[in-house]
Amino acid sequence: MADVQTPQPETGAPPPAGTLPTGEAILQVKGLNKRFGGLQAINNINLDVAKGSIHAIIGPNGAGKSTFLNCLIGLIEPDTGEILFEGKSIKGLKQHRIIQRGIARVFQTPQIFPGMSLTENVTIAALSKRDGEFRFNPVTPLNASNSATEEAQSVLAQVGLADQRDVEAEHLSRGDKRRLELAICIAAHAKLLLLDEPTAGMSRHDTNRTIDLLRLISEKGMTKIVIEHDMHVVFSLAQRVSVLAQGAVIADGTPEEVRGNPKVKEAYLGGAH
Amino acid sequence: MSTETVSGPVRPAAATGTRSMGREALILLVFSAIVLSMPFWLPLLGGYEGLATKIMVWAIFAVGFDILLGFTGLLSFGHAAFFGGAAYVTGYVFRDHTSEIIVAFIASQLGVLVLAAAIGFLSLRRTGIYFSILTLAFAEMMFAAALAIFAPFTGGYDGLTMRTTPTLFGMPMQGLYVFYMGAIMLIFGFAVARMIKNSAFGLMLRSIKENPMRLQYTGVNVWAYKMAAFMISAHFAGVAGFLMVVYEPYVATKFLHWSTSGEVVIMSVIGGVGTLFGPIIGAGFLMYFENVVQAAIGEQWKLVLGLVFVLVVIFLPGGFVQLGAMIWRATGHKVRERRHNVPDMEPDTQRERNLG
Amino acid sequence: MDPNALFLQLLTGLQLGAIYALIALGLTLIFGTLGFVNFAHGALYVIAIYAAVTVAANTNFLLAIILVPALLFAIGVAFERGLIRHFYTRPHTDQILITFGLAIVVEELMKWIFGANNIPFTLPEWGSGLMVFYSDWSAVPAVPVFQEAPSLWVPFIEGFVTYQFWRVVLIAVSLVTVAGLFALLQFTRFGLVVRAGMRDPEMLRFLGINIAQKFAIVVGLGAAIAGIAGVFGGPITQVTPGVGMALLVPSFLVVVIGGMGSLSGALIAAILIGMALSFSAEIANLQQIVVYLIAVVVLLVRPRGLFGKKGVFE
Repeated sequence: MADVQTPQPETGAPPPAGTLPTGEAILQVKGLNKRFGGLQAINNINLDVAKGSIHAIIGPNGAGKSTFLNCLIGLIEPDTGEILFEGKSIKGLKQHRIIQRGIARVFQTPQIFPGMSLTENVTIAALSKRDGEFRFNPVTPLNASNSATEEAQSVLAQVGLADQRDVEAEHLSRGDKRRLELAICIAAHAKLLLLDEPTAGMSRHDTNRTIDLLRLISEKGMTKIVIEHDMHVVFSLAQRVSVLAQGAVIADGTPEEVRGNPKVKEAYLGGAH
Repeated sequence: MSTETVSGPVRPAAATGTRSMGREALILLVFSAIVLSMPFWLPLLGGYEGLATKIMVWAIFAVGFDILLGFTGLLSFGHAAFFGGAAYVTGYVFRDHTSEIIVAFIASQLGVLVLAAAIGFLSLRRTGIYFSILTLAFAEMMFAAALAIFAPFTGGYDGLTMRTTPTLFGMPMQGLYVFYMGAIMLIFGFAVARMIKNSAFGLMLRSIKENPMRLQYTGVNVWAYKMAAFMISAHFAGVAGFLMVVYEPYVATKFLHWSTSGEVVIMSVIGGVGTLFGPIIGAGFLMYFENVVQAAIGEQWKLVLGLVFVLVVIFLPGGFVQLGAMIWRATGHKVRERRHNVPDMEPDTQRERNLG
Repeated sequence: MDPNALFLQLLTGLQLGAIYALIALGLTLIFGTLGFVNFAHGALYVIAIYAAVTVAANTNFLLAIILVPALLFAIGVAFERGLIRHFYTRPHTDQILITFGLAIVVEELMKWIFGANNIPFTLPEWGSGLMVFYSDWSAVPAVPVFQEAPSLWVPFIEGFVTYQFWRVVLIAVSLVTVAGLFALLQFTRFGLVVRAGMRDPEMLRFLGINIAQKFAIVVGLGAAIAGIAGVFGGPITQVTPGVGMALLVPSFLVVVIGGMGSLSGALIAAILIGMALSFSAEIANLQQIVVYLIAVVVLLVRPRGLFGKKGVFE
């Protein structure tokens, strides 16, 4: 029990070879800490995310999962620690700069541009990739032959929304909104995707479709960090799972290892879940 | 944010090259014809020549305002600062330096540039309602400063009066000349606004209105786009303020007052925000109301206008343009219907994003 | 600095701050709980002053003190039930537009009924005249106007100073109102719900607490405070239709400086603004813009206001 308090994933049980992704780390988190008043929201998190992998973060409510994600994306500035993306520090950068480096985020409620057509939704992301964080170009009309529009059409076809491309996004089903949000991330050429409960509130059918889609875009080499409550999703997707409780990583390994870990059971039973 | 009811769910997909160019040209041609012929048809409706010029002034103001409110979704209550600021600079040039319009124009636009950069920088530190309050506050600060600190330059409560007739390369600008100068500026401004609407830049502005958080999370510097939209609309307001003084060589303190900002908000909303045509119609309506209808109903015209405004906000979020579409449909014409044929529709949770 | 002048300037600062505080508290209360920006709050003040002047002229000032806040409370509740609640699901810009439109309608309506010019607001006999602040009573001249005036012993000042009694009444009433509001929010179940709502309105809706009814009361409360401000502030500000908008802008700034939705922030900012106005009066032309200068500085240093919380959306 004494070891429970030391949140050092590297010292845990050695992972069985072959299951855990071994490629170079696209994201390295070192000694991350964040306090909100008296609450230690993030407690010395160390984490490496291998390039091309799907890395799940689970934990009871209030474990600090969302705070952790918000630190990665620059919404919350951590007190101490370092975040390296592709070997370069992204700590303290403005949000849109971090995202321009190649990180994207998917929200619990799909965040799209509701009153715009799907083509327009995705074109915006393609433009962000093409033109960077800001470009003043009010002259060239944005017509179908535009490179960004073409890119958008091709991405929409990839996620299976091509036939709805002229529909306003707010009229999509929840599952399709999620697809659209992923299409936006793909068009922005994200290398690392942060997903906050991507299947929350979805029907089983939509959930499975979303899982399939996430697998599909993984094959393109996009790395993913997924926060999830739904164990079905975690075990269908993740190659590696980190368990957070009270802001610290208490277990880390393949889904199977984590499933058998007594600390994890304790954290969930002792928590609010 | 108030116009999603105007457009149907199906947008013409970014229309194909040459055809859209032709359509744009046609729109511009019809628009120009209506505007340029105004001195001939407005008197038939009880208006007068000078009213046509005033409509040009306010329509330019409203078109620029639509780039900010209609496209970007930012509700500024402080555009009087740019309208009035440019008017004061123009008046100052006319009174103390030269009657040459070009000089006054350049000076007033430089003034607006500095002013808009400062007010934009401060106000855009916050979003949403804070932005509205802050723009209102800084415009009121200008108003207070014009009456007190800058009174030696602004004439305080008396405003600026000048005796010179503005000239363009030595040619006096009066009456219809001013109207046609304004009309050309409006047509040019309208064309610029249409161009922005159809460009990549315009798409970014419109997406700010839709969901600024998603845009930020797509790697876009939302602040920079907002600032650009703010500056552009401020310059439109500045052109309008400049033109106002060319039309009537007098600068009233009212030009800086919040009620001037309020008027452009009212005309935009009444006409139909985000449509470019709407705010122009709104500008025409308000000027007509203020100058022609007032003669019929007297002092209470403002009360009636306020009531019209309230009713439009409650029942017609798309303004007169929406009303036009409704009438068009009611008379048996086809308008693209909102399509609700998608399975498992859910209430729009986007509204509850609550990002402050 | 001359201690007597300093004392008078402090009093003036408090008095100016008092009106802003009363209006700003209503604004921030409504914003904090309902997330609703009320551009018509100045119009509520305008209704209050005209109601007060009418009641006081025809009957009795004491009646106005009771009737006007009650009337404003009713107006506030009706306003929420009849209009605002239909706007909760509409964008913030629409909320601003509708309240802005209402403000115009009220202003023009008052102009129509009462005219655009200032109506003299006669003070009740018990409230008119001077108040004497003294450290040494023997210095006060032995004439009835001083000897019979209300008086208060204050150390530090030299001899005595006088100040309009009504302005002291305004300060006292404001203090009582603010204390009452804070007590209401601190010690009642209603206050508990409202404070929880100011922290996390989504959560309350989620818990199914009957927010709708509470919201109506909150708006009523905000309006009633504007009513109190109108009865006691009207004789000092002016009774014109335009005074609402003239007060609204600085009151908004008070709310922004204090931190949107923070009651204590609004209170402190109001006093700060009042003091700044009072102490800048002697510096040529600074007074007119001092409020805005403070707002600029606060915004540059603390964009969320003095007591605004950093928004963390999770």
